Amino acid sequence: MRRDAPSRPPARAEVWLFTALRLFLAGLFAYASLDKIAHPDQFAAILRDYRLLPQAAVPFTAVVLPWLEAVLALALALGKWREGALFLSAALLAVFWASLAVNMSRGLDVSCGCFSTAKDSGGNMAWYLVRDGFFVLAGLAAWHLGVWRRRRPPGG
Amino acid sequence: MLVIRKTLMQSFFLVAMAVVAGLAVNALRPDGLPLAGAAPSAVTLPADKTDIALKDAVVLSLSKRAVFLDARTGFEFADGHIQGAVSVPVDDFERIFPGIEKDLAGKDAVIAYCDGEHCPLSGELAGKLAARGVKNVYVLKNGWTLWNNEGLPVEKGQ
Repeated sequence: MRRDAPSRPPARAEVWLFTALRLFLAGLFAYASLDKIAHPDQFAAILRDYRLLPQAAVPFTAVVLPWLEAVLALALALGKWREGALFLSAALLAVFWASLAVNMSRGLDVSCGCFSTAKDSGGNMAWYLVRDGFFVLAGLAAWHLGVWRRRRPPGG
Repeated sequence: MLVIRKTLMQSFFLVAMAVVAGLAVNALRPDGLPLAGAAPSAVTLPADKTDIALKDAVVLSLSKRAVFLDARTGFEFADGHIQGAVSVPVDDFERIFPGIEKDLAGKDAVIAYCDGEHCPLSGELAGKLAARGVKNVYVLKNGWTLWNNEGLPVEKGQ
């Protein structure tokens, strides 16, 4: 691996695509965080339904996770702390997707809790899985374009 | 590699910001979530009175979170009592208490019982326990009859 390989100027289309993805993810996280920040108790109930976290970790997660989404939204929107924000975004989206997939394989029809904490917002798990799959791809693409692609040396 | 170090450092600070913001807002809002505490229990122990419901007493008994104190006479105790209960006739309280004091500490409920709706012994025993600083003292009113009627575990002898 090269250390601190010189950057190559990214193509114009790549810059546009990256900016679009970055702003899309920023909007996604901002939207996702709002209802959860407003209703931590309901979000905690959804986290319990997922049966993935130890009971003792649920309140802390319910309180902090929406704020992580909000902080990520802000960092992505401003284009600050790019490496960390893009990595965490991709990682979070992948974790969310895996959580859904695990519960679908268990046969649990849990409320998604993705954008709304309303209990009756539970719905088609397969649809959530496909939709969140696209979010994961968007997160990975943004990370790739924003961090790794920019570091490719000339001609590489 | 620089990019990995940058990623880790920035991730750490982003998470730290989220933790600080989340905990601060949770502490300030009136409906903030309690972050620590026991897992929710099916047992509802009344905060404002000392009577405990039979169902709650049974759950606490099965999970070994309660100790039962039989306030009746030694003779009645020997004839049959709640499984695992300790005989503490009210008149002998001062003599018996030092020997059982350490067994009462740390229990979710110390449950005094006797027999009959209007039996005063369990209430008197509960009062004496509370006066000696025992926490979580409850009375299972008409305890022996209720327990027996449901066919719950009992034993005989001293």
